[in-house]
Amino acid sequence: MGTPFDIAYVYEYFLKLLPFIRISLLIVFGSIVVGMGVGLLVALPRLYKVPVLQRFSQVYASFFRGTPILIQLFLIYYLLPELLKLVSIDVTKVPVLIFVILAYGLHSGAYFSEGIRAAVSAVDRGQVEAAYAVGMTGYQAFTRIVFPQALAISIPILANLIIATLKDTSLAFTLGVMELTGKAQTLFTVSRHMLESYLALAIVYFILSFFLEKMFNFAERRLLKHEAPIAKEDKVPMGRKWLNRTLDPDIALSKGGAGV
Amino acid sequence: MIHLKRITKSFGRNEVLKGIDLTIRKGEVVAIVGPSGSGKTTLLRCINYLEKPSDGEISIDEFSVHFKKPHKKDIHALRQKSAMVFQQYNLFRHKTALENVMEGLVVVQKIPKEEARKRSVELLEKVGLGDKLDSYPSQLSGGQQQRVGIARALALNPEVILFDEPTSALDPELVGEVLGVIRKIAKEGITMIIVTHEMAFAQDVANHVVFMEGGVIVEEGPPNVIFNVPKEERTKQFLARYTSESAYSI
Ligand SMILES: Nc1ncnc2c1ncn2[C@@H]1O[C@H](COP(=O)(O)OP(=O)(O)O)[C@@H](O)[C@H]1O
Ligand SMILES: [Mg+2]
Repeated sequence: MGTPFDIAYVYEYFLKLLPFIRISLLIVFGSIVVGMGVGLLVALPRLYKVPVLQRFSQVYASFFRGTPILIQLFLIYYLLPELLKLVSIDVTKVPVLIFVILAYGLHSGAYFSEGIRAAVSAVDRGQVEAAYAVGMTGYQAFTRIVFPQALAISIPILANLIIATLKDTSLAFTLGVMELTGKAQTLFTVSRHMLESYLALAIVYFILSFFLEKMFNFAERRLLKHEAPIAKEDKVPMGRKWLNRTLDPDIALSKGGAGV
Repeated sequence: MIHLKRITKSFGRNEVLKGIDLTIRKGEVVAIVGPSGSGKTTLLRCINYLEKPSDGEISIDEFSVHFKKPHKKDIHALRQKSAMVFQQYNLFRHKTALENVMEGLVVVQKIPKEEARKRSVELLEKVGLGDKLDSYPSQLSGGQQQRVGIARALALNPEVILFDEPTSALDPELVGEVLGVIRKIAKEGITMIIVTHEMAFAQDVANHVVFMEGGVIVEEGPPNVIFNVPKEERTKQFLARYTSESAYSI
């Protein structure tokens, strides 16, 4: 603090931050890919009610949703290598970025598992029975009937999760990763124009979120075209209306970003 | 010829079907009536294995399945021999009317797409939906959705079509169009089992009427016998209640 506000710095910092979007997005998409895999693995035992694994999935989801992401980052980065050392696996050479992606991946995996569960349960049982009744196998019923609809239903959940993860990546600097927030902090250590730096940072995050949201809205409209009422009869925006009806509010999948 | 032999079904300790024996001749239309909770839906669901019967046997012509320990491929074959029209239509919501009808033909019966399309269009025209081929279920009325459901069942060319209260989820003014379609296909000699509360309809289209209560068949016979001169006291009571109820609702 201490230096008077100077709008020129906002512009300058904004430009300097742009190259670091890459790192933040890398973390986001890396962890979303990990998270989808983990989420599916965690969701399946609960969807199919597998006895012991089902409990494990529950504990997993509770832990990663119930503890701050900052602590999860530290545990993965500092505790995991110690544990692996016990079974003589040396991970000291592994770049910190991998740990960060792993941590966010495991974290978002917990939310993905809930999302997958909600989306699959939102496709009504009757359609699966109709699929069996026309002679489909379980696999055909899942891939042809349940999955395409579940995917469409989960688009808004996915959008929320990706934007939340983007915001969460602002904590990766605590492990020394030079992503957007980390860079913003180094920018003002010299010039002491802290406010300008954070303002520029906010603008970058906002623009990113804005475009991600637009992208997902588009995808949602495409994938949910079958729920569109005939245009002139009904003016309620498509998709959402149907979603409100099918998604149980108890499993609302809102996630607000860094819970530190 | 379809034979059901000693079909039983329990949910936990609740025995819902207590040994059902029923014979359905080819081309026959069988109406099943009875109070709610008597096991009518469960019986239909057992016939195409949406519900696993506890015991019993079904045979359709030469083919037969013992429900005690059925083979997986027999179950699959059984499902392909029957088709179901559901109370809640259960159309595939992400597919158009045409795609709903084609789905089973293409995915299960592996019929080439063009041929499947041609057959599906014909069937949709037959149920009066030739102008709704590309509509999604969300864009159709209940009566239209149910007619797509009927076309979907017909397309599979099954040995028997099972109807579970096909009109009971419909607004009264839409019931007629669906019953009209069922009446039309009944005349074509397709074997059908229809669970219904539309007594006048049952009397009119069925060749054989089955009255169920408490998980057993109480009485069965030709419609004019069951509706006019039933033998069993329980059948009389049920029908009396029914006619008086509908008399009030007019
Ligand atoms: N999935 C199920 N689990 C437990 N009980 C069931 C199930 N389905 C039906 N039942 C019971 O079986 C009985 C018969 O139901 P159902 O076959 O639906 O009768 P109906 O179609 O004649 O009204 C009812 O008592 C119902 O509660
Ligand atoms: Mg019923």
